[in-house]
Amino acid sequence: MKELVDQIKTRLKDQSIEVPEEEIVARLKKLVDDFHVPDAEARRSVINYFLKEHGVVQVRASSVPVKVNEISEPNRWVDLEVKVLALWEPASDAIAQTGLVGDSTGTVKFVKWAKSGLPDLVEGKSYSIRRVVTDEYQGKPSVKLNRTSQVAELDHDVDAVAATRSGPAEDKKIADISEAGLWVNLKVKVVQLWDSNSETISQSGLVGDETGSLKFVKWAKAGLPELAEARSYSLQNVVTNEYQGRFSVKLNRTSQIIELDSDIEVGSQSVDFTGAMVDIQKGSGLIKRCPICRRSLTKGICGEHGKVDGTYDLRIKAVLDDGRRVHDIIINRETTERLVGLTLEEAKKMAMDTLDHEVVRSMIEERLLGRYYTVTGPRVDRYILVETINEAPAVAANDVDELISLVEVD
Amino acid sequence: MVGFSREVAKRIFAEELRNSNLSFRDGEDQHQYAPMYLLTPTGAKCNRVFIVGTLTERDDIGGDTEYWRGRIVDPTGSILVYAGQYQPEAAQKLASIEPPAYVAVVGKPNLYQTEDGNVMISLRAEAIQKVDEATRDRWVLDTAERTQERLNTLAEAAPVSGEFSTADKETALPAMDVDRAKQHYNTDIKQYRMMVIRALNSLRSDLGQGPKTEPIEDVKLDANMASVEPESHTPDYAQTTANDRGKAKLEPKQDPSKKSKSKASAAKETLLSGFSDSEQDEVETIPVFKKS
Repeated sequence: MKELVDQIKTRLKDQSIEVPEEEIVARLKKLVDDFHVPDAEARRSVINYFLKEHGVVQVRASSVPVKVNEISEPNRWVDLEVKVLALWEPASDAIAQTGLVGDSTGTVKFVKWAKSGLPDLVEGKSYSIRRVVTDEYQGKPSVKLNRTSQVAELDHDVDAVAATRSGPAEDKKIADISEAGLWVNLKVKVVQLWDSNSETISQSGLVGDETGSLKFVKWAKAGLPELAEARSYSLQNVVTNEYQGRFSVKLNRTSQIIELDSDIEVGSQSVDFTGAMVDIQKGSGLIKRCPICRRSLTKGICGEHGKVDGTYDLRIKAVLDDGRRVHDIIINRETTERLVGLTLEEAKKMAMDTLDHEVVRSMIEERLLGRYYTVTGPRVDRYILVETINEAPAVAANDVDELISLVEVD
Repeated sequence: MVGFSREVAKRIFAEELRNSNLSFRDGEDQHQYAPMYLLTPTGAKCNRVFIVGTLTERDDIGGDTEYWRGRIVDPTGSILVYAGQYQPEAAQKLASIEPPAYVAVVGKPNLYQTEDGNVMISLRAEAIQKVDEATRDRWVLDTAERTQERLNTLAEAAPVSGEFSTADKETALPAMDVDRAKQHYNTDIKQYRMMVIRALNSLRSDLGQGPKTEPIEDVKLDANMASVEPESHTPDYAQTTANDRGKAKLEPKQDPSKKSKSKASAAKETLLSGFSDSEQDEVETIPVFKKS
C-alpha cells in the first residue's frame, strides 16, 4: 500500500500536484479493500482522479512527427504536416469536418470531432497538425483530431500525392479477387439487383464478368449514379471485402462508375453438388411475399414496408450435405412445383383445407428429406440458387465393386 | 448468424458408432454452450450424423410425455435413436412410421454412462423421414466411401507418439483428430476395413440381379473379403466386437459356397429376421476400456 501511495505521489508531483497523503490512502483503500480492484487499476484510477481534480488534461503519450505512409497502427499520437485534399460531408453531428489529407508519401482520411473546437480546415491549404490519434477501420488507417490536437496553417505548400488511396487501384477479374481491403477496377455486368435492407446502402446485388460473379454494395453516402440490371459498367476504385470466405466489393465516395458500350459476358459460375437433403428449413413451402419488394413476410409483415397484403409463393430453402461440406440451397417456385409435384394453386388449397401453411412444408419434407440429390446453379452468397435438381442415380453394382477393390485388406 | 456455419452430418456405420466412447466440448472456451463432439475410432469428429437404415422397432418409452425410441439397423449393426418433447417433429414422425421401414435420420450423437460404468451411445433425432431402398443403398455406399477415406488417413498417419507433429496436408481429417482417435481407441484399422468390406458386400448382394448387374464373381469377392462372410449374422458380430473390441476376432459364420444362392432374398431375410436377437439389452451397452 505504501509503495502504491508513493508511486501515485511521484506521478502527481510530475504534474506539480500536491495531494495530502491521507486523501490518496483513503481513495486507494476504498478501491482495493472495499471493491477488490487490482492494485494497478486502483493506482491508475487514483492518479486519473487527482489529475482531473486539478484540471490537468492527461497526455497519454507524447506525439511524434511522422509522414502519412508511416501511419500503420491505431492509437498512436502523431504530428503531421499535410495538405487538405478533399473535404467530405460529415455523417454525424459529432464530426465537424472529415476528408482526405496528404503529404509526399500518401494520403489518409481525417476526422475532426465537433468537440475538438478546432478551426475549420480549408481544402487546398497546408497545415501542421499536432497530437492527432491514429485509428484504423477494416485495414484502412485514419487520423482523429480531438480536443488536445493543435492545428496551425503552414506558410509553405505541402507537396501531396494525388488523391488516390494507398496506391492506384488495379484492374482485376472477379475470379482473381482473393484478398480483402484491395482497391480494384472491374468491368462487369449487373446480374441482379437486390432489395436494400439498410438506409446506408443505396444499391446492392450481384455483378459478374467472364470469370464469375460477386456481391456488390453501393453506399448511400457514395453519391454515385444508379446501376441498372443487365447493363455493363466499369467500376473504378472499389474496395474488396470478405465475409465467411466470400468476397464482395464496396462502392464508396472515391469510386467511379462509367457505363460501357460493350456488353460484358457473365461467366456462369455454376456449382454442381451432390449430397443428402438433411434439412428443409423454416420458410420453405407456401410463403407470402411483399407485393412491393418481393421479400418474404414474417407474420404478414415486411421488413421494409410493414404490414402488407402479401402474395403467395412456393419455394424451398434446404440444406444439402455430402458428409464433408454443407450447402444451403434455394429452390424457386417452378422447380419446386416440378420436384414435389404440387402447383402453387394446389398448395394454397392444401393450406386452406387444413388451415395451416406448415402442411406444405411437411409434404415437401416427406418427399425430399433424407434423400440424395444433385443440384446445379449459381452460387450466390451462401446459397446455391438451384437451376436443376435431380435425385442421385441408383447405386450400380459396378460402383460397389469399384469401392470394394479400393479397400485394402492385407 | 455471424460466424455461424452448420455442422456437417458425418457418415458413420452403426458398428463404429457403437464403439465410440469419447466425447468432448470443442474449443478453448469450453463453456456449456460450446458444441459437443463425438470422436469415433476412425477419427471422425462429429456433432451431427446422418444415417439411413431399417427401423426395426420403435416404442414410446416415456411416462406422461411421449418419448420415442427407435432402433435403426445398417449392414454393420444397430443404433438407438431417441426423440421426445424437445424434438416434436421427429417424435411425431417416429411414432407414425410402422417398422420395418427404411428411414433416414439426422441426429446428434449422445453418450450415456450407466451406473456400472458402461458407455451407451444413441442419437437424438433432429429429423426422421421414411425413405426408399435406393436411398438406403446410396447411404451404405456413401458411408463406406467416407469411412474408407478416414481409414486411409489413419493408416498414413505416423504411429502414435507423445507429440502431435503429424503432417496433415490434404487428408480427410485434421491430424489432431487422427492422433487423438488413435491414442484413445488404439484403432485396429484392419477391423474397420473389414467392416467396410462387409457392408459393401452386403450391399452388393442386396442389389441382386438388377438389369445392369453383372454376375457376382465369387473368386474376386472371396479374395477381397478375406475371412469375412457377407451374410454373417450382423448382431452377433456387433456383440463380438462389443466384447472383444480391439482384437478383431472374426470367424466365418457360413460356408462361402452358400453365397451363390439367391443373394437378394437371403440377405434381406437376414436383415429383417436377424435383429430380433439384438433386442437383448446387453447388446446396447459397450464396455469401457480404460486406456492408460
